[in-house]
Amino acid sequence: MSPRARKIAHGELELALHELRSTSRSGAPADATPLVLVHALEGSARDWLPHGEAILAAWRGPVFAIDLAGHGESDWRVGGAYTPELFAADVDAVLAAIGRAALAGAGVGAYASLLVAAARRDLVPGAVLLPGRGLAGGGALPVASGRAPDFAPEVARDTRGGSSAQLASRAACDPLVRACLEDVRPVDYAESFAGAARALLLAADGDDLPPWWRAVRGAPPAKAAPREAAAAVAALAEAIA
Amino acid sequence: MSAALSTSEPSYPGAVAPERTRALDSFGLPIRLSEWGDPAAPPVVLCHGMFDHGRGFDTLAPLLAERFRVIAIDARGHGESGWCDAYPWHVDVLDVVNVLRSLDRPARVVGHSRGGGLATDAAIRAPELVRQLANLDGFGPPPDGFGIPGVPRDARSLPERFADFLDDRRRSTRTHGASRVYASLDDLVERRRAQNPRLTREWLRYFVFHAARPMARGWVWKADLRAARGFGPWKPEWVGPGWRALRSPMLAVIGSEPDTWGPLPESILGDRLANVAQLERATVAGAGHFIHMEQPRATADLLLSWLDRS
Repeated sequence: MSPRARKIAHGELELALHELRSTSRSGAPADATPLVLVHALEGSARDWLPHGEAILAAWRGPVFAIDLAGHGESDWRVGGAYTPELFAADVDAVLAAIGRAALAGAGVGAYASLLVAAARRDLVPGAVLLPGRGLAGGGALPVASGRAPDFAPEVARDTRGGSSAQLASRAACDPLVRACLEDVRPVDYAESFAGAARALLLAADGDDLPPWWRAVRGAPPAKAAPREAAAAVAALAEAIA
Repeated sequence: MSAALSTSEPSYPGAVAPERTRALDSFGLPIRLSEWGDPAAPPVVLCHGMFDHGRGFDTLAPLLAERFRVIAIDARGHGESGWCDAYPWHVDVLDVVNVLRSLDRPARVVGHSRGGGLATDAAIRAPELVRQLANLDGFGPPPDGFGIPGVPRDARSLPERFADFLDDRRRSTRTHGASRVYASLDDLVERRRAQNPRLTREWLRYFVFHAARPMARGWVWKADLRAARGFGPWKPEWVGPGWRALRSPMLAVIGSEPDTWGPLPESILGDRLANVAQLERATVAGAGHFIHMEQPRATADLLLSWLDRS
């Protein structure tokens, strides 16, 4: 990614935080609220590049994009532990580094943004949630299908076959992040987070969306936003102005 | 020489150190495996409970090793296995699956307490790798969750509690996961006895010696305290229905005596176990929650009679 990246710490991990624009837009107040973009599952900060110019035009403050743990230029977690709550903690590590910021998240990044917007309402004036990979998780209830995990590489089958680090060099992201295609996302859990957020925009509508999304859409602070990323960011700017 | 370092390894009647140990790479993390018995014999995999370790099977494993290749796992963040910075349930389950994948044939799996839950979920995840499953009082927490008697439940909202989790993550480091330094092995024994009063001091002295590491100024637990600091949606009513997917036969074992943890009231346990298609139940007399530590001979006899021979 061409924008400047810096490393921020989340526990023992180093995460890449990319600066699309490190200061406010010309003509905007120097202290305009920053925006943090949170990519979808198996994506990276690079996913925002096609929308980069339009997002920069839609937002007055600085704009950052994180690589979540196990993705992009960020560290992989030794032992392969990934959950939406841990991705939310990655986003919170950004808040620890840069302070107050609005969030725009896609897919699992949308779900993580919801959790952070609720738990850190003093730091997050609002969040816009976009569809994308990892949006549904495993559904609203545990799936008792007994199927074998398709995200777990068989590192233990042949000790000569290479370590996880060697597997790492062959993939763009840690295959273990795909556990977030299976985690349970109960409706009441998402609703209790939605109720605590200050401003929440949902950039999609329809019955094909997961139960947690439809529940959040019906919660008091939630409003609709355009589906296209830069237009959704513009709606967020307006909502928190 | 410090007092800690001069403490020699205790012995205990019937306890036999593993014949072989090795580390299995599970997603980059070293998982310690301790083995007893003929390497060519059919495998039995043992999974310990929360903040325990594989050497807690030192009295059960040699009895099972008369007929089986016995493999005790140190769960991640426990015993001699590696630490990581987060411990969601599903990766612990996958560690057990990785151990099963490393064997030359399907195994029998025995798990105690949390290890019983992990073993059950591993059998659900990898049915082709698990012939039989014995669960020693690992049937999930009571319906009111992981509450501690006498301690009021946390009545705050989910987002408020999640903020605590995020605060904790901001502090998370290896030293954050380390426990305090105990001056002597006896202090560790008393700490553990306060939690598990049915276990004898003689056994606990053996058990905590392998659960802790001598440092310059005393002893620290080997377990990573962060292993208990997860966050996510979870409901007790999910426990039983989840077992409908279990295809392996389960031997469900409890002790006859009430204990600080388990067994669950029969009304709850029976309801949960009603979801298991192929179920046998057994009660070990004279044991509380730590069935195999309190009654290793009776537990071994029960398992040897139930586990098939092929």
